[in-house]
Amino acid sequence: MASPLVGIIANPASGRDIRRLVAHGTVFDNNEKTAIVRRVLLGLEAAGITRVAYMPEHDFGIVSRALSGQRLTLSAEPLSMPVLGTSADSMRAARLLAEQGAGCIISLGGDGTNRAIAKGCGAVPLVPISTGTNNVFPYFVEGTTAGLAAGFVATGCVTGQAMQRRPWLEVSVDGEPTDSALIDVVVSSVPFVGARALWDLSTIQEVVLSQVIHGTIGLSALGGALLGHAAAASAPSGMHIVLGSGGTRALAALAPGLVTWVGVATHRILSAGDVVCCRAKSGEGNPVGPFTIALDGERELELSAAARVAVRLRADGPFVVDVPSALGMAARAGYLQRS
Amino acid sequence: MAIAIRQLTYAQAINEALRIEMRRDPRVILLGEDVAGGATVTGFEEDDAWGGVLGVTKGLVNEFGRDRILDTPITEAGFVGASVGAAATGLRPVVELMFVDFFGVCWDMIFDQGAKLRYMFGGKARCPLVIRTMIGAGMGAAGQHSGCHYSVFTHMPGIKTVIPSTPADAKGLLAAAIRDDDLVVFFENKMLYGLSGEVPEGEYVIPLGKADIKREGSDITIVAISRMVQQALAAADMLAADGISVEIVDPRTLSPLDEETILNSVAKTHRLVIVDEDNPRCSAATDIAALAADKAFTELDTPIKLVTAPHTPVPFSPPLEQFYIPSPERIVATVQELMG
Amino acid sequence: MATKNDSPGVQALDKAHLLHMYEQMVTIRQFEERAGKEFAAGKIPGFVHLYAGEEAVAVGVCSHLTDDDFITSHHRGHGHCIAKGVDLREMVAELLGKEAGACRGKGGSMHIADVHKGMLGANGIVGGGLPLATGAGLTAKQQGRGQVAVCFFGDGAANQGTFHESLNLAGIWKLPVVYVAENNGYAESTPVTYHMSCRDIAERAAGYHMPGVTVDGLNIFAVYEAAGEAIARARRGEGPSLIECKTYRYFGHFEGDAITYRSKEEVDSYRSRDAIQSLRRSLAERGIAPDTELDAVDEQVQERIDDAWRFAEAAPLPAPEDALTDVYVSYP
Repeated sequence: MASPLVGIIANPASGRDIRRLVAHGTVFDNNEKTAIVRRVLLGLEAAGITRVAYMPEHDFGIVSRALSGQRLTLSAEPLSMPVLGTSADSMRAARLLAEQGAGCIISLGGDGTNRAIAKGCGAVPLVPISTGTNNVFPYFVEGTTAGLAAGFVATGCVTGQAMQRRPWLEVSVDGEPTDSALIDVVVSSVPFVGARALWDLSTIQEVVLSQVIHGTIGLSALGGALLGHAAAASAPSGMHIVLGSGGTRALAALAPGLVTWVGVATHRILSAGDVVCCRAKSGEGNPVGPFTIALDGERELELSAAARVAVRLRADGPFVVDVPSALGMAARAGYLQRS
Repeated sequence: MAIAIRQLTYAQAINEALRIEMRRDPRVILLGEDVAGGATVTGFEEDDAWGGVLGVTKGLVNEFGRDRILDTPITEAGFVGASVGAAATGLRPVVELMFVDFFGVCWDMIFDQGAKLRYMFGGKARCPLVIRTMIGAGMGAAGQHSGCHYSVFTHMPGIKTVIPSTPADAKGLLAAAIRDDDLVVFFENKMLYGLSGEVPEGEYVIPLGKADIKREGSDITIVAISRMVQQALAAADMLAADGISVEIVDPRTLSPLDEETILNSVAKTHRLVIVDEDNPRCSAATDIAALAADKAFTELDTPIKLVTAPHTPVPFSPPLEQFYIPSPERIVATVQELMG
Repeated sequence: MATKNDSPGVQALDKAHLLHMYEQMVTIRQFEERAGKEFAAGKIPGFVHLYAGEEAVAVGVCSHLTDDDFITSHHRGHGHCIAKGVDLREMVAELLGKEAGACRGKGGSMHIADVHKGMLGANGIVGGGLPLATGAGLTAKQQGRGQVAVCFFGDGAANQGTFHESLNLAGIWKLPVVYVAENNGYAESTPVTYHMSCRDIAERAAGYHMPGVTVDGLNIFAVYEAAGEAIARARRGEGPSLIECKTYRYFGHFEGDAITYRSKEEVDSYRSRDAIQSLRRSLAERGIAPDTELDAVDEQVQERIDDAWRFAEAAPLPAPEDALTDVYVSYP
C-alpha cells in the first residue's frame, strides 16, 4: 500500500483584488507564501508524511522555492500537468491529486483558488490556508500547524469528526450548469468582468449565500447581520438577499476597513436544494443587460439581459479540516506523545 | 533698489537671497536633506531646526513653513529628479545637493534629464531649477566631501554653473539663478560661509555670464575661481611688495563664460595664470587656458600657467589637505617664475 | 464597498466612450505596425521600440486623464503619446527627424514629448521617468487643483533605484501619483522570472506606504477600473498607488531584435488573447457596435495614419544650424 500522499496547491496570483485601492486589505506576498509552504512541509514531515505532490507554476514557483535548500526527508514532486497560469491549473491539480489518492490537500490562496480546487478535489479533505484579508472560505492558520493537521488527516489518524462538509452554490445559465461558488453568487449591473472585484454597492442587486456565518467579511457579512431578523434555522442554511430600499438596513463589514449600512429590500433563508432565479433588473423591474454574475466576490460571467440564471444551494461541497479538532484527535489517539 | 550697505557673511547673504526670492515668487520652494531640519519631530523650537547641515537655510522654515521648505529623505536621485519634474511642470524649485561629491548618486537626473529636456523637446519645455551645492576642501572633510567638480557640470550643454567668491556676489548671483529659466548649479564654497563682506540691502541681481575684476593690475592676469579669488588676493598683496601689479578676474559664472572680460585682461597684461581648486585634468582651468591660447595667442608674452589641486582625491590629514589646496605662496611662486 | 465613488466605473462607459477607446487602441496598433514596416525599410533613423500588444494599458489609464494631468513614459512611448493626445502628424515627423516634429526633430522616437498636453516625454533612461513623475506630482499637490501625475514604467525599471526612491518619496509626501508598471515579462532579453526578486511588482507597494494591485493588462476594462480607482484616490488627496498591468509586447525590445529569447508558442498564446480583439468581441456580442461599424473605425484610423506619414515624408528636415538652438532659454 502506498504511503499517504498530501497535495499542496499554492496560488501565486495574489494582488488582483483592486478593492485594496478603495479599502484597506492586504495580501501575503509570494515570498511570504514561500515561507508558509516551508513551514507546512516541516509540519507534514513531523506528522510522518513522506510523499508530497504539488501544483507546478510557470513563473515564480512558490513550492519549488520553498523546497530549494531545505533538507527534508519527505519527497515532493510537481504534478505532471500542463501549466496555463489560470485558475484551471488549480482545478486540474486538485483532480489529479484526487485521482492519485491524496489523503489531504493544503491550499494557499483565497476564495477563488479554493473554488477552483473544489471543482476537482472530490472527497479529498482540504486545509485551506488564507493568504489575504478579503477571504471567507479559507482560514488564517500558521503553516506548521496546518502541515501537522493535514499530515494526520492523510495518515488516517484523524477522521470525519474533525472535518466539515461545506455547502456550495451551483450556477446554471439558461438551464445548463455552468459554474459554481463556495460562498456567494452576486448579480451585478456592471456590464463587464473588468477588474473582477465588486466594490460599488450601487451596482449590486442580489446576493445568494451558501451559508450564514457571523464574522465573515464581504457581501456574505450581510447574512450574519440579517440572521436575527429571519426565523432561526437549525440546519445549516443559505440566504437569498435582494438589495434595495423598502425593507430593512443591515450593517456589514463589506471589505477590510469598510463597514457600512446596506439597504435590503427582501431576504429569505435557503435550505439545501432550494433554487433562486435571478437576473439584473432596472428600477422598474425590467430585465437589463448585459450584466455580470460574480462568484465568491469576483465577476466571472458576462450575460445578456435575456439570460436566465438559476442558483441551487447544495450541501455536498468540499470537506474542510478543522485544525484544532484534528490535532485534538491526534493527541487523544496518542500520536503526539511518546514514552 | 539697493541703497544701504552692511556686512553679512557669505552664508547670510545666501539666506537673504533665498528669503527675498521666496517672498517674491510663491512658486519657489526649497528641497533638500535637513534644509529645514527635524521634520515631524515634536517638542523642539522651530528656531532650533538645523536649517541645513551648516545652517545656511536656518530660519527660513519659520517664515515659509514646511509646505515650501521640504526636508527630503537621503535619496538624491529621487528628490533631485523630482525637482526636475517639478520645474518642468510649473514650480521653480531650489534643491540642495548637500555636497557636490554626491552628484554621482543623481547625475542622470541632472545631466541626462534636467539638462537635456529643453533641447530634446525642441525648445518646447524648460527646467527652471537651481541646484545649490557645497564645494571645497579645508575642513578636513576628506575624500567624499571636499571636491569642486564644477568642470563636469560646465562641460554639459544645458547646465549653467555659477561660483560666487564673495557675499555680495553670492546674494546677487543666487537671485539671478532663481529667476533664470534654465538649470543652474550654484556652487557654494563651504570655507567661504564665514567670510564677511559688504552686501547691499534689498533686491538686486547680478547677471549670469558677467565676470568681475576683483583687483585691477597691469603686469599679470590671474583668473581665479571660488575661494581661489581670496587666495589670489592674498598673493597679490605679497607680490605688490615686490612691485608686481596683479589683475584678478573672477569669472563668477563658468557657463556661460564671460570670455570678453578674460581676453581683454590678457590683452592688457600679456600674462595669464589660472588658479583653480579643482583637479587639473579636463578642468575649468584647462578650458580657460585653451580659450586664451586660441583667442589671445598673440597677446601672450609667457606660457599660460595653471595653479591647481593635484591629480588626487582630497586627503584627510591637515598637512596633506593644505598641500592639496592652492596656496597664496604657490601662486606667488608661479607668478614670480613668469615675471622672470 | 465605496458608496461614494469618484471614479466613473465601467458601467458609465457609453457607446461614444467605448468607441473612442477602441479607436485609440487601433490607432496605437496601426501606428506601431506602420512604424515597424517603415523602420525595416530604412526610413527611420536610430531606434524604435514598439508598443504593439500593450494598448489596453495606455488607453485604459489615459481615458481618465485630461491635458491638465501629467504622464511620463519610457523608450516604448508611442502608445502613451497617442493615448495622451499627441498629434499623429507631429509624431511621425519626429520619428523622421523633421522640423515639424513634436520636438522639432531634436528628440526622435525615444524623446517624443508634448508638455502642453502634459506628456512629459518618452525617456531613454530606464527608470528615468519615475522621479520626474514624482516631481510632477509635487507640482500638482502644490497647485492644489486636483491634477494627477501618472508614471508608466516597465518591469526592468521596477528594480532601478529610482523606482524605490520615487515610491518612497510619494509615499511620505502623499503625492497624487499613480505608478503604472507595464510588466511585459521581459527587460530587453531577460525574463522577469530571473531579474525580479518578487513575482509581482505590486507586492513592493507595501514597503512604500501605498496600495498595490495587479491587473490583467490585456483587459481594457480591468485596466480602466483599476486606474480609475487609483486616479480618483489621488485626486481626493489620498496619495499614491501602484498598479501593475500584466501585458505583452508583440515585437522585440527594439526593432532589429531577433527575439530569440521568446518562443513562437508564447507569442501565439498572447496573440490569441489580443486586447483589441477582445474589446471588439465584447462590443459586437453586446450589440454595442457591430463588426461593420468597427471595421469602419479601422479604416478611418488607417487613413489618419497614412495622412500622418504623407505629411511627415513631405515635411522638410531642419536646417543644420538648428542643432545649435534651444539648449537654453537664454545664454548668457
